[in-house]
Amino acid sequence: MAIVKAVNTPARAAPISETSLVGWLRKNLFSSAINTVLTLFMAFIVYLIVSGVVVWGYLDATFVAENRRECFDNSLTGACWAGVIDWFDNIFYGRYPREEIWRINFGGLLLALWMAPLWITRVHGKILVGASVVALYPFLAGYLFSGGDKGLFVQVMVAGAILAFVINMANVVAGLVRNQSLDRLVIDLLGQANAPDKTQRNILLGLLAAGFAAAFLWQASWTVVGVSWTKWGGLFLTLVISGIGIASSLPGGIALALGRRSKLPVIRVLSTGFIEVFRSVPLITVLFMATTMFPLFMPEGFVLNKLVQVIIAVVLFNACYMAETVRAGLQAIPKGQFEGAHTIGLGYWGTMGLIIMPQALKHMIPNIVGSFIGLLKNSTLVSIIGLFDILLMLRSISRDVPWLGLHKEPLIFGAILFFIICFAMSKYSRHLEVTLSAGNKH
Amino acid sequence: MTIRPNFASLAAIATLAVSGAGVASAQSTLEIVKERGHLRCQVGSPSPGYYMLDTEGNWYGLDVSVCQAVAAAIFGDPTKLEIQSVSTQSRFTALANGESDMLSRTATWTLTRDSQLGIDFLTPNFYDGQGFTVRKDSGITNAMQLKGAKVCVTTGTTTELNLTDFSRANDLGISAVTFEDFNVRDDTYVNGGCDAVTGDKSSMAGNMAAFPVPADHMILPVTLSKEPLAPAVRHGDNQWSDIVRWSVFALINAEELGITQGNVEDMRANSKDPNVLRMLGAESNLNEGLDLEKDWAYNIIKAVGNYGEIYEKYMGDGEQGLGIAREGSLNALWTNGGLMYSPPMR
Repeated sequence: MAIVKAVNTPARAAPISETSLVGWLRKNLFSSAINTVLTLFMAFIVYLIVSGVVVWGYLDATFVAENRRECFDNSLTGACWAGVIDWFDNIFYGRYPREEIWRINFGGLLLALWMAPLWITRVHGKILVGASVVALYPFLAGYLFSGGDKGLFVQVMVAGAILAFVINMANVVAGLVRNQSLDRLVIDLLGQANAPDKTQRNILLGLLAAGFAAAFLWQASWTVVGVSWTKWGGLFLTLVISGIGIASSLPGGIALALGRRSKLPVIRVLSTGFIEVFRSVPLITVLFMATTMFPLFMPEGFVLNKLVQVIIAVVLFNACYMAETVRAGLQAIPKGQFEGAHTIGLGYWGTMGLIIMPQALKHMIPNIVGSFIGLLKNSTLVSIIGLFDILLMLRSISRDVPWLGLHKEPLIFGAILFFIICFAMSKYSRHLEVTLSAGNKH
Repeated sequence: MTIRPNFASLAAIATLAVSGAGVASAQSTLEIVKERGHLRCQVGSPSPGYYMLDTEGNWYGLDVSVCQAVAAAIFGDPTKLEIQSVSTQSRFTALANGESDMLSRTATWTLTRDSQLGIDFLTPNFYDGQGFTVRKDSGITNAMQLKGAKVCVTTGTTTELNLTDFSRANDLGISAVTFEDFNVRDDTYVNGGCDAVTGDKSSMAGNMAAFPVPADHMILPVTLSKEPLAPAVRHGDNQWSDIVRWSVFALINAEELGITQGNVEDMRANSKDPNVLRMLGAESNLNEGLDLEKDWAYNIIKAVGNYGEIYEKYMGDGEQGLGIAREGSLNALWTNGGLMYSPPMR
C-alpha cells in the first residue's frame, strides 16, 4: 500500500542560522576556534589602521592654517591638509595665470558636453560624434588653452570645431525630442523628405557651408591671451599628456599591429622594428632621449617645445604597447572569420574593418583599458624631466617656505585623486564589457 | 625622376639647418637675448631658499633674484624673464646647447665642471658647506662624538661621498642611511631613525625650522665641504659672462655702498659719493664695455634690492625667509668677516 500525499509539503523557511546576521557570523567568521582567533586578530589590526588613519587624517588634522607652524601649534601628530588646500590652484592648473583658469574649466566642460551624447541611447550618429571628438576637439581645446594669435589653419580648425560642437548639441536635442538624427530632422522640417537623395544632400551641404562661414566669421571676432606651455601644469598637464596619449595610441596601435601582420615585407619589417625598439626601452629613457639628446643634434640656440617632444614620445611609446595588445586580439579571431569575409567578397579593409576588428576590439577591452590606466600613471614620469605635472606640483609643496617639509599629505592627496580617476576608468571598462558582450555569453 | 625633387628639398633643409647654426653661433648671447625680448634663466625643481613656487605659481628665491637682476640689467624690467625648471640630469646640457642663456641654481663650482663641461662658473652668490644636525638631548656637541652613529643622508650628490670621506679620515665608522628625498630623510631623523642628519648647512637650517619642535635640534659647528654656489654661463662668450658676473657684483657692491631698493632713486639724485654715482650711471660710462644701458645697475637695485636685502628676504628672517643667520657666516660682507666682496666698480 502506497502512502500518497495529495498536496505538496509547503516549503519551510530557511533555518535561522542561514538568514540571520548571527548565523552568517558563526558560519563565516567564528566557525572554529582557530577562525575565531584569526577573526579577532584581524579585527584588531583593522581597528588599529582605521583608527590611526581617522585620528591622523581627520580628528587631529588641521584644515585651515597660514603655514605649517600653525599646523604644528594645532597638533603635532595630525595631518596638515591646509597646505594642500592652499595649493589647490597649483595642483589642478599648475602655473596657469589665475585669471585665465576659466579657459581650462571651459575646455573640460566642452569635452564633457561633446562626449555626453555617446552615452545617451536615443542620440543618433554616435560614430560621427566620436570621430569629431578625436579630430576636431583637440584644435579648439588646444587654441583655448594656449591662446595667442590664430594662424589661418588654426582659424579653420577652430571654426570647424565650433560648428561640429553646435551640430553635435543640436543632434542631441533632435535625438532626445524626436528620436531622429539631425539631418533627417532638418530635411523633414524643410518638407523635403520625399525629394531625391541628391537634392537632400545638396541642401545639407549648403547648410553646412553656411554654418561654417558663420562660425569662421564669429571665431575671427575674438582671441584669447597667449599662455606659454611652460605655465601648464598640475592635473591639467597630466590629463593633457595622457589624454592625447590615450586618444592617439589606439589608432596608432591598430595601424602598427596591422602593419606587423601585413604581407608586404617593407611595412612588416618597419612596423616590427619600430615596435621592438620602442618596447625594449623604458619610457623614462625615451623621455630623456627626446628632451636631452635630441636637442644636441639640432643647431645651436634651437629650442623645441619640450611639451610637444614629451607628448610625441608618450604617444609613440604607448602605440607600441597598444600594437601588441591589438595583435593579440587579432590572433584570437578564428581563421574561419577571415575566410567567411573573403567568401562574401570583402577585400582587406572590408574584412578588417567590418568583420575582424569589431570582434577583436571587444576581446581586448580589459587590456586596452589596462594600458590606458598604465599610461595615465606613467605620465607622472615627466616630472623627472622637469615638467610640472601633478606629481612635481605635489612634491613642490614641501619646498614652499610656508609649507616646508610638508610631503606626506600632498602625496596621499595625489594617491586619492589617481585612485578616483583610475577606478572610474576600470569600472567603466567593466560596464563596457558587459554591454558589448550581452549577446554572446559563453 | 620623381625622386629628384625630394633630394632637392632635403638638400635645401640641410643647407638651411647649417646656415641657421652658423648665424646662431655668430650672434652673441646678448644679441640673441635682446632679439628674443626676454632672458631664459635656468633653475631646478623647487629647492627651499633658492627657487620655490608660491601658491600663485610664481617663482621666488635667492637664485631667482639673480635671474631677475640680469633681466633688469639688460631690459630694465625684471619680468622680461622666463624661468626654466630643468632636471638635474640635463641642467648642463640645456645650458650648453643654448636652451638656457644662463644657469642660476644650486650648482657647486668645481674644477671638473668648470673645465670639462663647456661652461663657466661666475662669482658665487652663496657659500654653503656640509654639516651635521643632531638632537640637543643626545649630548653630542662635536662631530668626533659621532663614532658608530647612524647618519641620514640623501643619495646622488657629493653629500654622501663627503660623509664617507669624513668618517674614514677620522676613523668614526659612521653608517649612512640613504634617502632619495630630503623630506623622508628628515622625517626618519625626527622619528628617531638616525642619530644625525648630514646635508648642506643652509638647507638643513631651513628644514630644521620646519621640524615639529625646532628648539630640540642643533647644527654642529664642523663643516665637511666647501660648496660655493655660483651662476654659470656657456663657455666662450666673454661679454655675456661679464654681464652676468657684474650683475651679481652690482648686488654686493650696492650693499657695500649702502644702496637699497628703497633709497636707490634718492642716492642717484643726491649722493655725493663718486662710487655711488658711477655705479648708478649718473657719472662716467661703466656700461660701455658691457654694452648695456647707462642705468643698468640702477635698474638691478630698483628691481630686486641689494644682496643683503635679497638674503634677508629669502634666506634670513624675511616673511618668505628660511631664518638662516647671516651674521658670522661666509655669506656676510667682507667687512663683517664674510666672503661677499665685490671688485671696485669704476
